[in-house]
Amino acid sequence: MVELRGCDPPKNLDEYRDVFVYVQHKNGKIERGSLEMLGMGRELADKLDEKLVGIMVGSDLSKVAEEAANYNCDTVIGIESPDLKTFSSVPFSHFISETVEDYKPNIFLLSGTREGRDLVSRIAIRCNTGVAADCIELDADKQNRLLIAWRPSFGDKTIDQILCRKHRPQMITSRPGSYKLPEKNRRKEVKIDIRKVKVPDKMKTVRVVEFRPKETLDLTTAKTVVSGGFGLGKPEGFKYVEDLAKELDGVVGASRPVVDLGWIPYDHQVGQTGRTVRPHLYVAAGISGKIQHLVGMKDSEFIVSINTDPDAEIVKYSDFYIHGNLYDALPKLTEEIRKRKSGSKNKV
Amino acid sequence: MALKIVVLIKQVPDAEEIFIDPVKFTLNRSQARGIINPADENAIEAALKIKDETGAEITVLTMGPPAAETALIECMGRGVDKGILITDRVFAAADTWATSLTLAAAFNIMDDFDIIFAGESTTDSGTGHVGPGVAEFLGIDQVTYSVNTKVEGKNVIVERSLEDGIEVVNVPMPVLITTLIGSNMPRRSTLRMKIDALKKGITVMDHEKLKLPPEWVGIKGSPTVVGSLKIPDEKKREGKKYEVEEIPKLVDDLIEKGAIKIGDA
Ligand SMILES: Cc1cc2nc3c(=O)[nH]c(=O)nc-3n(C[C@H](O)[C@H](O)[C@H](O)COP(=O)(O)OP(=O)(O)OC[C@H]3O[C@@H](n4cnc5c(N)ncnc54)[C@H](O)[C@@H]3O)c2cc1C
Ligand SMILES: Nc1ncnc2c1ncn2[C@@H]1O[C@H](COP(=O)(O)O)[C@@H](O)[C@H]1O
Repeated sequence: MVELRGCDPPKNLDEYRDVFVYVQHKNGKIERGSLEMLGMGRELADKLDEKLVGIMVGSDLSKVAEEAANYNCDTVIGIESPDLKTFSSVPFSHFISETVEDYKPNIFLLSGTREGRDLVSRIAIRCNTGVAADCIELDADKQNRLLIAWRPSFGDKTIDQILCRKHRPQMITSRPGSYKLPEKNRRKEVKIDIRKVKVPDKMKTVRVVEFRPKETLDLTTAKTVVSGGFGLGKPEGFKYVEDLAKELDGVVGASRPVVDLGWIPYDHQVGQTGRTVRPHLYVAAGISGKIQHLVGMKDSEFIVSINTDPDAEIVKYSDFYIHGNLYDALPKLTEEIRKRKSGSKNKV
Repeated sequence: MALKIVVLIKQVPDAEEIFIDPVKFTLNRSQARGIINPADENAIEAALKIKDETGAEITVLTMGPPAAETALIECMGRGVDKGILITDRVFAAADTWATSLTLAAAFNIMDDFDIIFAGESTTDSGTGHVGPGVAEFLGIDQVTYSVNTKVEGKNVIVERSLEDGIEVVNVPMPVLITTLIGSNMPRRSTLRMKIDALKKGITVMDHEKLKLPPEWVGIKGSPTVVGSLKIPDEKKREGKKYEVEEIPKLVDDLIEKGAIKIGDA
């Protein structure tokens, strides 16, 4: 029988203080979105006159905890055991929840990576609190010590404000890439508290048998993204997309149909079910601009589209629109940029 | 004994058909067609593949309005054995906490299970919390973002797609697995099997049957609330048009506006 219970709120909300940030890390490196949350966490903590606490889990934390301490933390809590070397939902959520119940933070921020999303719901249910997922904007109401979280919904057609008035901690996951990276700054009085724990055998059921790394393609941090869509008509068309991307020192993106067709790996997909990008320059070749694609790229600084159809939706979202066949336009654009580059070299 | 698999599915409005009422600033969902949440399509297919290979009894479970019955019938038309609809006015406006609790309660009524499949997330709320939430209430392991699941004795071998690679894990059943959107090709239903499904019917449950007090579920049981709503400010874009012959001019303009930089300038 499953034990059921309602989400009972705590009696005394004032007991809950300080801002927790989950610091995800791998091979001694802190995940980018967690750094963003440390930056955001500091801002919220300052607004509320609270402390910033980084919390991490792993097998050998001393170095990476030192690194987290460089981002304006007041405290870094590490939960350490040789059995916590690789991520596993049950033990990770167990130890984090225990720490949360013991410390009673007011706010708890997690980067919305696959690991963050995997963990957050279990922690929230254990701690009897709610979560706002995939937030793109955060603010605090000092008087009520309330976290004000904004998250997009329905393919970004609206942005909803999510509040968790009666339960603590107030938890969110962020959409990675939506916040500034903080500057490094170490506080004089920072405390690093590594706690050794013992993982019960019944929590050691998930075994990682293999890891096949893939070439990491970081679409989210690229300055230029050149994407190809169904208008390419054939997989070989990506050659022209790649040529332009190379000339602009950018990376190749794609719409979903060409990924589904296997013309290019999933990692390149931009959109609702792919990556959200906001590069300086986004080029969309043979992409119609359906809402699910737009939500993944519409916040780019400059958008150039290439399309045979002047009524395509993407045109309304473009700063510059090339009316024509991408098989003519892409090579010409690449060639023209190459010419300018060699021209500028000649001048020097 | 055949494996018992439960698939959690949700009917969602087709995103292309949702629009915002420009006067009242509310979302008009009522006119949108209901579809099976895309990632749940992959969850159903993952379960059916196991049934093809090793034999299994599959139940689809959904919480939603009575109209969600069509989604269950569609699944049964693809080879799913049973459909359960959890429906009750008191469940309305549940957040992920209350939704997870309500779905978990159904497991007190159903037989034992070996695997639960859920989608990675839904397109209408898109949190990805409900699968892990159910696993937490049931106190079982979970494996998220799967692209492939194989049964081996009492364990499953699951490939998870992470940001930097594929992680292969071995976990004993019972386990909850969430499927990545696009991780397989969902089969179609047949008319014949749909007719059989309609004849067979589905099971309906409400809060009394699930032994859930109304204050635990729906909007009352939800720790989070939606405050106000805003429409994102769209950056105004000019959409300046160039023919292919005018690309040299376009490149001049791109450089002038700072969209591309040539040399170190
Ligand atoms: C739940 C869900 C999630 C989704 N997630 C995503 C997502 O993450 N990312 C995504 O991209 N889509 C996603 N989609 C799919 C989305 O709805 C669209 O189907 C898709 O974006 C269309 O891709 P496209 O623009 O490449 O193709 P099309 O819509 O077919 O557009 C092709 C365009 O190319 C133009 N064209 C044709 N030939 C040429 C030529 N020779 N030269 C120049 N132009 C040419 C055409 O005029 C047309 O505008 C999702 C859909 C659903 C339901
Ligand atoms: N109302 C519901 N009924 C059944 N399953 C659901 C429901 N809501 C969510 N799920 C399942 O949980 C997954 C994640 O949903 P979400 O947390 O809303 O993104 C979905 O893909 C479904 O498998």
